[in-house]
Amino acid sequence: MDAENNRAKGPQPHEGQQMEGLDLESVIERARGHDAEALGEIYRRYVRRVFGLCRYMLDSRERAEDATSEVFLKLQRSIESYDGSIPFPSWLLRVAGNQCIDALRRQRRGRQVIVEVEHGATVVEAASAEPSPLGAVMGKEETAQVRDAIAGLPENYRLPLVLRYYSELSYDEIAQQLDLRRNYVAALIFRAKQELRRKLAHRNK
Amino acid sequence: MECYSEQMCSIFVDGELAVDEARRLRDHLATCQRCRELVDALRAENRVLGESLHELPEEAADPVGFPRLRLSRVWGDLAALAAVLALVSVFSAWVDKLRIPEALEWLNPFSADGLTNLIFNLSYYFAHGGTAMLADYAAVVGGLFLLLGGGGLLLGRRWRLHQPGLYLLIVLLTLSLPSFALERRHAEFVTVAANETVDDTLLAAGNTVRVEGVVNGDLLAFARTLEVRGSVKGDLVSFAKRTVVSGTVEGRIYNFSQSLDLDGELGHSIYGWVQSLRVDNRGHVGDGILVGAGDISLEGEVKRSATIFAGNADVSGTIGRDLTMAGGSLTLTNTARVGGNLSARVRHMKDVNIADGASIAGKRDIQVRVRKSQFTRPRFYLHQAVWLAAAMLVGWLGLALFPGFFQGCTQAVGAGWRSLGLGVGVLAGAPVAIVVAAVTLVGIPVSLMLLALYLAAIYLAKIWVGAFLGRMLLKRSGATRRDWLLGLLVGLLVLTIVGFIPYLGGLVRLAMVCLGLGAFAWQLHRSLRPAIAA
Repeated sequence: MDAENNRAKGPQPHEGQQMEGLDLESVIERARGHDAEALGEIYRRYVRRVFGLCRYMLDSRERAEDATSEVFLKLQRSIESYDGSIPFPSWLLRVAGNQCIDALRRQRRGRQVIVEVEHGATVVEAASAEPSPLGAVMGKEETAQVRDAIAGLPENYRLPLVLRYYSELSYDEIAQQLDLRRNYVAALIFRAKQELRRKLAHRNK
Repeated sequence: MECYSEQMCSIFVDGELAVDEARRLRDHLATCQRCRELVDALRAENRVLGESLHELPEEAADPVGFPRLRLSRVWGDLAALAAVLALVSVFSAWVDKLRIPEALEWLNPFSADGLTNLIFNLSYYFAHGGTAMLADYAAVVGGLFLLLGGGGLLLGRRWRLHQPGLYLLIVLLTLSLPSFALERRHAEFVTVAANETVDDTLLAAGNTVRVEGVVNGDLLAFARTLEVRGSVKGDLVSFAKRTVVSGTVEGRIYNFSQSLDLDGELGHSIYGWVQSLRVDNRGHVGDGILVGAGDISLEGEVKRSATIFAGNADVSGTIGRDLTMAGGSLTLTNTARVGGNLSARVRHMKDVNIADGASIAGKRDIQVRVRKSQFTRPRFYLHQAVWLAAAMLVGWLGLALFPGFFQGCTQAVGAGWRSLGLGVGVLAGAPVAIVVAAVTLVGIPVSLMLLALYLAAIYLAKIWVGAFLGRMLLKRSGATRRDWLLGLLVGLLVLTIVGFIPYLGGLVRLAMVCLGLGAFAWQLHRSLRPAIAA
């Protein structure tokens, strides 16, 4: 019932107004004591970032919303495991990433989300070809295009890329979440960027 | 020195290169402009990536709109919750006013009174093979409900019945049911005084309900003791532990109590299921009697026929027409008068005692059910095979439709005492909840649903217990569908065979029902929990 209340209360704008000025640590401390208002405040502060991650990782808005709800529903309990060793937003995004991967796994009936292909870690690379990294070709105002291109990436490129540059996880953490080898993650991220460049270059023509 | 690959640079920019490798690359950058440019470009690229990603997509930009949309997903839950809350509030208002739970304390297995009653009743049913009867009854009704439910579910899936719509429909249906006008009374001691007249139907709940005046409508009573000394113009429906009618009931008596004593006048018939029924020599039944009872004593007058299923029946009064009896023993004393035929179905000839002075106008038809061992009849085996096949089919269907739930239930049987204890509670408690829910017209759909669930669960109990037993015997994991079904077959076979052992069989069946019900309740609780309070 508490969770239900929380879910219903959390989003309301008037909720936790006295919390607004409160620093994050005290809010987290209170949330740990199952304070519904504090949990609501966390929801208010981070729902967009969590939803953003879910939206990038999952293929439909609806499923992203589901995953977001789950993350905040479970927060009641999971917040107890937050030990403060990393910043709270990073921790929350890590939890959200796990939630999305779980959702993807469920969708695949327990199979791994990204399967390593043999020799996958070796990247075919034109030996020191003219690099055309994104920064060079992109105007800064064209971020929407970049987002679209990322959304259009295949899952095995998109997930590591988003976990790296949105959740700001390390290669090791990504490897752990996706159950892949570290080298393979590195290769996927690199190839994801290459693919992104190709897409954007193609679009800009 | 040779330049680093672009991937290496990319990993370096991500800060993920090993320390010494990174140092070497940094040294190289100091000397190689081409690589420096590459690294700078890659850094810029990372920045663009991060910035682009962190500028959230349009659809996430409106934090007010978001929760509203999120609601669409919980809409079904909310509708269900609203339905339950609405029903509970309507219902609790009633219960609060009626204090029915107190009145039904004698049925509540957790009270001392109820416990005594439960033990008493259980031993009674046990002695009279009631468990077998209950299980058989549940098998038929439960199977039917299961079939209907399964069919409905399959159709529902095909039609993609929108769940919230379905919930709403149920709520609307439930709430739109008309409720009739009646008077409610509740107290420790409910009395209709001698000079008082109740014009409506009276719904009375209390420890003792006593009617000394007049009730012009029906009387619906929940009590430990119900005494009708005055008169009830309509029907009497009694859920009292002890019912005594020494006044007048002009309608019929529907009785579900431990004992019913009729000393007074009854306009029509008695229908009921009681432990002991006594029609006193001053008692007069205007129509007939149709009851199942442990002990029946007819000392008064019954105008028409009496059909009784009883452990012991003593007749010393007058029965206007036929007396039909089936059960343990029948005694007609010298003063007994039967206006029609007498037919009795008993086990042994000596169970029927007809005194010489007893008069029977019609034919005497006493049949002794010579119980040839049922094991010698081929029909018996056919019957068992059909039931086994049906159970297998139900098991297969259940596993196909709710694989997780069925596996979970099977697993939960293994909890042993927890399941057994929970099962005893559910077995005894659910009927109370069903009766309490059925008291109001609004609650009737709920109670019907509960009843369906209860009977279905009693039927399914043997499937979960069977599957568990089979798995234990076969020492298989039961993880695959084939293993589970094979386990079920073996388990059911064992249970069926053990079930025919005298006395022990009844105990095993009872334990099986309790275990299965407990496992079901546990699994239900577990599967509902994450949805409500994950």
